[in-house]
Amino acid sequence: MLRFVLRRVLSAIPSLFGLLIFTFLLVRIVPADPAAALAGDNATPQQIADIRHQYGFDRPIGVQLLLYVGQVLRFNFGESQYSHRPVGLDIRQRLPATLELTFAALLFATLVGIPLGVIAGVNHNRWPDFALRMFSITGLAVAAFWFAIMLQLLFSMQLDWLPLRGRTSSGLVMPPEVTGSLILDSLVAGRFDAFWDALRHLVLPALTLSLGALATITRFTRAGVLETMQKDFVLYERAVGYPRRRLIWIYVLRNSVISAVTQIGLLFGALIAGAVVVESIFDWPGIGNYAVQAILTADYKVMLAVTLLIGVIYTVVNILTDLVHGLLDPRLWEQL
Amino acid sequence: MHISRREFAALAAAAAAFRARSAAAAPDPAVFVTGMDLPANLDPAQILDVQSTQWGLNAYDNLYRYEGNPAKMQPWLATDHTVSADGLTWEFKLRQGVKFHDGSELTAEDVVYSVQRLLGVKRAPAAPFLPILKPDSVSAPDRYTVRFTLAQPYGPFFGMIPMIAIVNPRIIKPNEENGDWGAKWLASNEAGSGAYKLLPASYVPLEQADLEKNDDHFMGWSDNPQPIKKIEWRPAKVTSTRVLALLNGTLDMTDSFLPVDQVERIEKSSNAHVAKNVTMRLLVIRMNNTKPPFDNIDARKAFAHAFNYTGFIDEIVKGNAVRDPVPIPTNIWGFPKDVTGYDYDLKKAKEYFDKAVAAGAPMKRPIELHVQQPLEQTVQAGQLFQSDLATVGIDLKLINDTFANLTSVSGKPETTPDMWIHWVSAYYLDPDNWIGQMYDSRYHGTWKASCWYTNPQVDDLLRKARFSTEQEDRAPLYEQAARLIVADSPDIWIYNMIEVCGVSNRVQGFRHCPVGSGGEVRWMHLSA
Repeated sequence: MLRFVLRRVLSAIPSLFGLLIFTFLLVRIVPADPAAALAGDNATPQQIADIRHQYGFDRPIGVQLLLYVGQVLRFNFGESQYSHRPVGLDIRQRLPATLELTFAALLFATLVGIPLGVIAGVNHNRWPDFALRMFSITGLAVAAFWFAIMLQLLFSMQLDWLPLRGRTSSGLVMPPEVTGSLILDSLVAGRFDAFWDALRHLVLPALTLSLGALATITRFTRAGVLETMQKDFVLYERAVGYPRRRLIWIYVLRNSVISAVTQIGLLFGALIAGAVVVESIFDWPGIGNYAVQAILTADYKVMLAVTLLIGVIYTVVNILTDLVHGLLDPRLWEQL
Repeated sequence: MHISRREFAALAAAAAAFRARSAAAAPDPAVFVTGMDLPANLDPAQILDVQSTQWGLNAYDNLYRYEGNPAKMQPWLATDHTVSADGLTWEFKLRQGVKFHDGSELTAEDVVYSVQRLLGVKRAPAAPFLPILKPDSVSAPDRYTVRFTLAQPYGPFFGMIPMIAIVNPRIIKPNEENGDWGAKWLASNEAGSGAYKLLPASYVPLEQADLEKNDDHFMGWSDNPQPIKKIEWRPAKVTSTRVLALLNGTLDMTDSFLPVDQVERIEKSSNAHVAKNVTMRLLVIRMNNTKPPFDNIDARKAFAHAFNYTGFIDEIVKGNAVRDPVPIPTNIWGFPKDVTGYDYDLKKAKEYFDKAVAAGAPMKRPIELHVQQPLEQTVQAGQLFQSDLATVGIDLKLINDTFANLTSVSGKPETTPDMWIHWVSAYYLDPDNWIGQMYDSRYHGTWKASCWYTNPQVDDLLRKARFSTEQEDRAPLYEQAARLIVADSPDIWIYNMIEVCGVSNRVQGFRHCPVGSGGEVRWMHLSA
């Protein structure tokens, strides 16, 4: 297993290096000159030229790339052109919020999606299957933006049950930071007021973010269940009168979720990327929101760092997914 | 589906718990929550935009300040000023006993440092001063007198004085790094004397900032017996969320770029209203005069006649704008009242189109108009224009873009788009802020001059106006320059904006000013 992990980590390095170079060139090769954006309203051409020189934007692109790669290899992502704060510090501050949101969405999608997929699969071509297929298609088709606004209108405006935006209520004293997750940190500190407040703020963004993932997991689990139900061992167990519920929820499920688990790994990366939209709508202070601001202000070091970070997360999650695969089906170790 | 009594009771209890919590989160009567965007950083010498102006109006003080609408220059830290007969020497007398937030006294030396720092940092707020001020142009003859000695007479100078925020050198100097004038530190901190002071731990760039009332502000608070004790800056990134937050009482004020459908929504609400104020913000469609077909005057006129000005203002903006046919706001001196500009006339547009084609202008090539995300109105203007141009025979493509990118690409004529659309806001109330910086060729390379217009006669008029000191001499020069520019049709001037800002009904004392768009909180109080 260790050899497998090492092999996967080593093979990820060229991918990440490629991503670094590709995004750098993509951001810097366009005709945009960040110096003009940085100079702002009323700037003179001389000021823009001075800023261009100050930040090294006037150097050959190859030199800029080498300097940047050198910085990144030392885990230095430079500083934001606007806030003048180290990009690494900003990301450290914001990443926990994004991870909390993404994990919550994925957890919800998994805990609800797998049972729904099983229900659809075992009720093949009956009304629960039709209803859940309709739900899956809708979940994939609905735009997160629209769904978020509907949730806001219903739960924040009409029912007044859940907060409209943000991660905490105004004036809330935060628990000491341990993990960065407000939910976990408030539990660690025994601050149930903060836990409740954080949970209420998390519900709508997590629901919005989870919708597509929920639909995907439901569909893949359903497909896995349908396939497994045709296997000989299922026919045998049914023939010998093995309890149906136990058969489905233990043996069929375990053999059906492998493809769903693969999807969960892929979905994690998609959810991190999807958080960009969800965080903007709900004013969730994560890296998605940070990335949007960076794009709107041409803060290219932030754009590069966030892209690279998402790439790293995606890679790590894929390695973990392969590991879980192996645990679910040890035969896969030999193939991988 | 069957729900047992026990399940029903649990659901009801959960609902009640949620409701109880929301009721507990009723708005605090001493806390003003604003949805105005935060500036990209907090240093008033680094950023110049509407957000930075609003931040500065609350955290910093200036020698003079624009107040009211129509805006008037009001003595602020200065009690008065004198100017020499040749217009070169300006002296400002300071109030005595003004305290910075750290309790130290604000003196003339601090004003000198603030100006020198502004020039030293060399960012956008310094730009209008750089041609006429050097670091040694400002001095402190005594503890409460500041003297500016200009390199040459400069008409807009007095109007630019409110752009200088006075900062506290005793806090900044210990935080300087490699001669950066403390720019890195002040980007996330505050060193002012303004009516509100930053609670530094609350600040997360572009996300949030809390400010508390400065009890020792030099103006005192007698004019506002129930001032706001705390400002919570909580920008909402998406318009719909911003408006919903206003409607459910968790936000007290929105920005001033609301789309019309949201304005109508707020107007129907019982707990918020729309503050409408004529301002000085022009909407302009730029044409790159160096790129064919825009290097042909008939081509430009074809485009100018194809925009449905009245339709856009009446139907899309719902009357929240005033038609402005020239690059000077309708409500400032120097506006030429005799100029009517271009009207919406597709027949004339077609005639000019044919003339341009006859002269060899490539009128049938696809033309790109870059619109700004996420500013919906620019997209709406583009779509309207696209449909009218199609009837003339022009193929207009709309390209989504961002302001940051557009300001970047407009640095060179070859990378400047065919056309793009933007506003020009008020930073100093002088025609130079608009026509001067948009059409004097010395500003080529900046986004404001991105039509790359060149007319030596116009350059001459604008420079004469800039280097004269008397308004009565300058006004006719701007009027004449405007006439020449309109005749050349380098751009399409659409309107002067009526700002629409969503304001909670509990906010009293909201005062609008074209500079800062009503973001100065010290005049406001919150009703119960």
